[in-house]
Amino acid sequence: MRQKIYFVSVLAFAVLLLNGNIADAGNLNAPMQSLMGKYLKDSGEKSFSAEEGKKLFFLKRMHSEKKEEISCTSCHTDDTAKGGRTPVGKPIDPLSPAVNKERFTDPEKVEKWFKRNCTGVLERECTPKEKGDFVTYMMSLK
Amino acid sequence: MKIRYVVKQILIAGILTLSLAVNASVFADEDEEGERHERHEKHEKGGRHKGAGRVAIAENAIYKSECSSCHFLYPPEFLPKRSWEALMKGSDRHFGENLALDEKTGKEILSYLIESPAERGSSEWAGKILKSIGSATPLRITEVPYILKEHRKIKPDVFKRKSIGSFSNCGACHTGAAQGDFEEDSVSIPKQ
Repeated sequence: MRQKIYFVSVLAFAVLLLNGNIADAGNLNAPMQSLMGKYLKDSGEKSFSAEEGKKLFFLKRMHSEKKEEISCTSCHTDDTAKGGRTPVGKPIDPLSPAVNKERFTDPEKVEKWFKRNCTGVLERECTPKEKGDFVTYMMSLK
Repeated sequence: MKIRYVVKQILIAGILTLSLAVNASVFADEDEEGERHERHEKHEKGGRHKGAGRVAIAENAIYKSECSSCHFLYPPEFLPKRSWEALMKGSDRHFGENLALDEKTGKEILSYLIESPAERGSSEWAGKILKSIGSATPLRITEVPYILKEHRKIKPDVFKRKSIGSFSNCGACHTGAAQGDFEEDSVSIPKQ
């Protein structure tokens, strides 16, 4: 079963690559490509959009519990090439994979942080489309 | 006569085996004792209170990997058992964040945290923290009366300095915090 899912994901991604729908997808390692394939399949989309991912990253919204305007940039700052700060002041390494090679290399970590941070900002989990767009935007950064 | 001899042999063999087992367990105890001793020595260096600090923080890999990305790795003995239990029970609503811990990970972190909470803390501070809390169940270490009292002379603006960030960032000023050292002598408040 698991192998089948993996196979389907890889296949989906291969199709995607052929279509050239993911910007800089070639920079993602195999496990991450497989995760992106899964996102694409689950989203029902034909491709991901770096532009949409960028919008999500800069989206500002009022958090109902924290009673303040919040965004990905609240912690990661507007400049992904620079590090950020957690709500309690601990430094965060740069998010951009262009300067931080460790970013977007481990599917488990990526999923964990989507779950944590989407809830933290949007007060809900992100959709597969949002995740795919987000990773696509990040991989497009120079 | 022959049967007697065999029984005797078996008895001797049994006693020998038993004594070996007992010996082994005694040695094991000594090893643990040795380790504990070593740990204590580490804390005592440069400290006023003997054994006041405790290297709790780096000991658990999962606690470290799941919690330290966002905040300082608080020593387990800074909160009572009931606080850690409440915190981990609400790990999907952790001050507005969902920690997204799977059941196994959550359980492992909790069992580490409650191994030596304030009730069983080795430091002088643990007792003071516990006493100051009374019957309350604080969820924030920064709301523990004893810890607040110890920081009462520090102006709120100081915590907002860039290299400090917040009152939760113990290690910014407590330079030995990562080693469990919260002595006043080891405090160095960054100017910016």
